[in-house]
Amino acid sequence: MTSSPKPGEPWLAGLGEAVWRADALGGTPGATLSSGHLALDQVLPGGGWPLDALSEVLQPPGLHGEWRLLLPVLLRLQQTGSGALVLVGPPHVPFGPALQAQGLAVQRLLWVNPSQMQACLWAAEQALRCAGVLAVLAWLPQALRVRPEQLRRLQLAAQSYGKPLFAMRPAQAQGESSPAVLRLLLAPLPGQPAGQAQGSDGLQLQVLKRRGPPLAEPLQLAGRQGRLVAGLSVGLALATQSAPPG
Amino acid sequence: MHWIALQPGAQNQTAAAAPPASGLPDVWSALAWWALQFTPRVVRLEDALLLEVSGSERLWGGRAGLRQLLFEEKKPPVAVRHAYGATSLAAKARLLPGLLQTPAPELPLAALAAARPHLATLAALGCTRWGELRALPRAGVARRFGAPLLQALDQACGQGPDSYPWLLLPEVFEARLELAAQVETAPALLFGARRLLEQLQYWLQLRQQAVLALVLCWTMDARRDTASQGELLLRCAEPSCDTAHLQRLLAEHLARISLPAPVLYLQLRSVETLPRVGHSVSLLPEAQRPGDSLQQLLERLAARLGQPQVLQWSPRADHRPERMQLWQAASNAAVLMAQEASRSGPGGCPGGTAPSTGPAIDLASCPAWLLAMPQRLAVRQGRPLYPDPLTLLAGPQRLEAGWWDPGPSALRDYYVARSSRSGLLWVYRERLDPSSPGLDLAPRWYLHGVFG
Repeated sequence: MTSSPKPGEPWLAGLGEAVWRADALGGTPGATLSSGHLALDQVLPGGGWPLDALSEVLQPPGLHGEWRLLLPVLLRLQQTGSGALVLVGPPHVPFGPALQAQGLAVQRLLWVNPSQMQACLWAAEQALRCAGVLAVLAWLPQALRVRPEQLRRLQLAAQSYGKPLFAMRPAQAQGESSPAVLRLLLAPLPGQPAGQAQGSDGLQLQVLKRRGPPLAEPLQLAGRQGRLVAGLSVGLALATQSAPPG
Repeated sequence: MHWIALQPGAQNQTAAAAPPASGLPDVWSALAWWALQFTPRVVRLEDALLLEVSGSERLWGGRAGLRQLLFEEKKPPVAVRHAYGATSLAAKARLLPGLLQTPAPELPLAALAAARPHLATLAALGCTRWGELRALPRAGVARRFGAPLLQALDQACGQGPDSYPWLLLPEVFEARLELAAQVETAPALLFGARRLLEQLQYWLQLRQQAVLALVLCWTMDARRDTASQGELLLRCAEPSCDTAHLQRLLAEHLARISLPAPVLYLQLRSVETLPRVGHSVSLLPEAQRPGDSLQQLLERLAARLGQPQVLQWSPRADHRPERMQLWQAASNAAVLMAQEASRSGPGGCPGGTAPSTGPAIDLASCPAWLLAMPQRLAVRQGRPLYPDPLTLLAGPQRLEAGWWDPGPSALRDYYVARSSRSGLLWVYRERLDPSSPGLDLAPRWYLHGVFG
């Protein structure tokens, strides 16, 4: 994404990559891994999720888009390396058979479920410091009242140990300052009339913060594919033929 | 052969009376444990500790390197005087003041223990130094002073063998520490325990062991009308020789203990140890990842959060979604680390454990999140609410299972429903057993999963 130097600045050309232009995406110091979503890759610096930093995913209450967003990158991480994926404080029980059907090695998940919420941050940091961990997914609910310096500590741990940390936080947190290098806001796709199964399930994704210029318009994440969609369309066909049950 | 003789310094008396706070009974053990790091041949002879280092010099970078290491980098636990010699007795004799550089024949006979009873006679003969006594005819010396003197002289001059019963470390590690001040809270015991752990590290290193279980005991003030002893058993899932890890584990356990009375003494004892197994590291730098091992992480998480809060997954053969899987306390780091061996294709059932007839429910269209307990939904005009009326998109998928279990069997029709707020949901309508009463009741709806 680097633009060619302007004619008036020949000395800049010799510096090459060392100069960052404010209108280009930031050069990423760390490694990245493709997110598996084409539209998202195009707007992320380095073309994917940062692999040694904290990325925040903000969601309104009731929405759980994290698996859909992160599953491709988690699959790739599992294929390339050995180690555990650590889930810290997920909101519900991860349903292993369904995740397995989507290709995830569920045996390699470690579910840490602290009874006190403050221990979530501690557990996430400990997991980042462990060599046998591929990535950490932490759910930090509103009630936890995470302070920026606590996130900063996690970001430093992720950076120094070279592990990706995905923090799922409530959408209210978008006004707070955060040391995350990447912040995404998920929302259900608005303005869809009821009954359109194919489109209704899409997600709207807004990049709140990235290493680069801010992104004005939100992205759309395609709805889910494969057998569920097929099942949905079959179900719809049935539903239109006969009266809805109940 | 190269010998180093050590003698605790001028403050010998005071040091012996109050040993350094290392958990060892006296200054000699502390010195011996320290010395055993550098050579396995350590012996105490009268008031000196003798180290034979010719076998391990190369490991420590030559004689000069070893001397620098001994007396500048890893200083002895107490102040010592030291001397060198080609034989043990010569090195020991040079410990006397002013003799540090004296060649062996010039050393005084007074420095040789075997010669001490005969010093006056020898002086009358004009013999005060080793060389002068050696110059005398051997047969005559043996007849007048006995064979032991001759043997000692041979040994001192390198003519006889220098053999000693070398010091060995005990089979079981046990160290006791008197705390400098009474300790009232359990977490504060860690400061004392840390010293004992340092000692343990020496012991583990020297005996080439890794520890599997440890006991930390404390003795409390007997004047209180409470139990006078307490102990904490620390057990690791795999043998560890990393005292930093043991210390963190100990800290987690101590944080949950409350003491009935102030603690005066601490004791650390090894309960179970195994020979240390070396592990190979990669030659290539990129293959080495920084950080602790996964097993250490599991132990630390379980120590603070409790075993039931740290879970790993295993499949179960059942059709009911809530029983298709079991999240159980994580203990097996090998499974978590394993590069996957075999996996059935998408939509397949977990290897070998699912019923052979295949899953009743298409797993690919199941949600990623399951509610721990199905949530009863309110119903208005026959439509479930969450909190707005749900639109049923697909279904039903009929499930009838669990009739073999005591209790009600699972008779359910699963639907994929869409909620205006939470996206796609997985709900089921409970079908009632035809034989049960209440058949005429309105159907009950439950929320069981969230697609996200």
